[in-house]
Amino acid sequence: MSEYEKQKRQKMITLTVLLALSVLFGILSLFLGRYPKAGFTSPVLFYTDSVARTILTKIRLPRVVLALASGAMLGASGFTFQLLFSNPLVESGFLGVSQGAAFGAALMIIFAGASSLSIQLSAMFFGLLGLVFSYYLSTRFRFGGPLLRLVLAGIAVSAFFSSGLGVIKLVAEPTKDLQDITFWMMGGLWNASWGSIIPTLVVIAIALTILHMNRFTLNLLSINEKTSFSLGLNPKRQRVILLVVATVGTTFTISVTGLIGWVGLITPHIARKTFGSEATHALPASMVMGAFFLLLCDSFGRTILPTEIPIGLLTSLFGALIFVLILSGKSQEGKA
Amino acid sequence: MMFLSIEKLSYQYPNGINALQSVTLSIDKGSSVAILGSNGAGKSTLLDILLGYKPSTSVSLYGKPLSTYGRKELGRLIALVPQKEQFSFAYTLLDYTLFGRAPYLSPMGIPTSSDNLIAYEALAKVGLGGFENRSITALSGGEQQLLIIARAIAQESEILLLDEPTSSLDPANRKRILTLLKQLHSEGKTLIFTTHDANFAYELSSDIALLKGGTLLGYGKKEDVVKSELLTTLYDTQLTVTEIDGRTIIY
Repeated sequence: MSEYEKQKRQKMITLTVLLALSVLFGILSLFLGRYPKAGFTSPVLFYTDSVARTILTKIRLPRVVLALASGAMLGASGFTFQLLFSNPLVESGFLGVSQGAAFGAALMIIFAGASSLSIQLSAMFFGLLGLVFSYYLSTRFRFGGPLLRLVLAGIAVSAFFSSGLGVIKLVAEPTKDLQDITFWMMGGLWNASWGSIIPTLVVIAIALTILHMNRFTLNLLSINEKTSFSLGLNPKRQRVILLVVATVGTTFTISVTGLIGWVGLITPHIARKTFGSEATHALPASMVMGAFFLLLCDSFGRTILPTEIPIGLLTSLFGALIFVLILSGKSQEGKA
Repeated sequence: MMFLSIEKLSYQYPNGINALQSVTLSIDKGSSVAILGSNGAGKSTLLDILLGYKPSTSVSLYGKPLSTYGRKELGRLIALVPQKEQFSFAYTLLDYTLFGRAPYLSPMGIPTSSDNLIAYEALAKVGLGGFENRSITALSGGEQQLLIIARAIAQESEILLLDEPTSSLDPANRKRILTLLKQLHSEGKTLIFTTHDANFAYELSSDIALLKGGTLLGYGKKEDVVKSELLTTLYDTQLTVTEIDGRTIIY
């Protein structure tokens, strides 16, 4: 067996172990929560207590599944964005998507109350609108190359939505709507129920499958555009397709979870550190690590205190810490 | 059948500037063609058109317009060595060389062990054997250029387009690249390269095309084209072609 084959096998084993650990931790976190009290729920209780059983199947299980799927989606889309923009500091909330979704959610909160379905739909719509606006604006810009134009357009669109969000917060009713908006922007999986998450799970499954199947192409889109063209790609078209897939997956995710930052930035970095920069293994690793990280933060946030800590606060806290560690650690891999 | 022919090729940028005007070239299989000219002469535009990156109906390969080839099919026929590659991530040398196998993969496929073997051989050929797992960010400028050529070798194409292959290299690396490209040419690859360096062009090429302001000033066997008067007109500065110890020197 060649050195390359050995390494490939080693990476597959590590990836499988990571996946198994995530699933195991998912099972374990079904026993974590605040019923009957904060901490670990005895498995025996699920046999004896029908309320505990209902909590397990209708609240904790969909929540754990959503945490795993959302984390995988954010990890995968962050990885995809970084390759498509050839920039390891880009994340999936780019191109006005996150700010658009936040604006959409806030708009629906003040005009239609806090019905979770309407908030989801509005967040999704405005998140995608952010992408469309960014793309359209980039075609009107007369400065820099296509990628720089798209990045600049994303910054401009995010700023538009941010100012709109500011206005909404200014006029929002302070005791109810403003709190709801603030809470949505801090992210949380407490709304997870089978009914509310199934459409999102389907979209995430499709998006992850498409990205995974195109993982080798993603590498080729991270290098010089003329080189990727010479390798048989249609880089402009393939970049747009994969960008749309990653953005739609992200938008569907944050429409249910609220804004969750840092997962899409941190997990691709750790995946590349562990599996190398080539996407064949690093992309699935980013998915698995994203899933594990989000589940960890969610389990921590809903168990450690009598009141729930919004997941977005925890991903930001842990994400920033990991980011500092990565950047201050000795890198053998240069830029990435 | 004509191998690669360019028939009255004109190309205008969206801003109305004519990059190329009625350029006609016919390139034989296995030849080594230098495209010589100063900045803004249209060399890179010509290379982009030969790659198919800028569409044109004036270029034919094996008698068939380039625009009618499928993307992957063309990838198996023409490889590009860009002036500079964009390395934003720390791929290993092997990872990057394996990118050259992309035109042979099924849609959404990943490289197989046989692709891997080809990549290993390509790296060994350019003198980077044994460093397969090294990160590309640890390479010097000359080694990066060798790696880019290794990726193009792994592509197993008939034609190699090279955009200023030695423009930012020191003399030692320039010599390494020159030796390697001469070897590839002797093995039957068709080389088409742009350069500012008339001496490099003379050393590597069998034919030379002189481009000035988008028009062809001369094209033919290098011995017929490289003349003091033509080069002086090409670069708008006095250049002399002389022979020292059997070697042609341009200064």
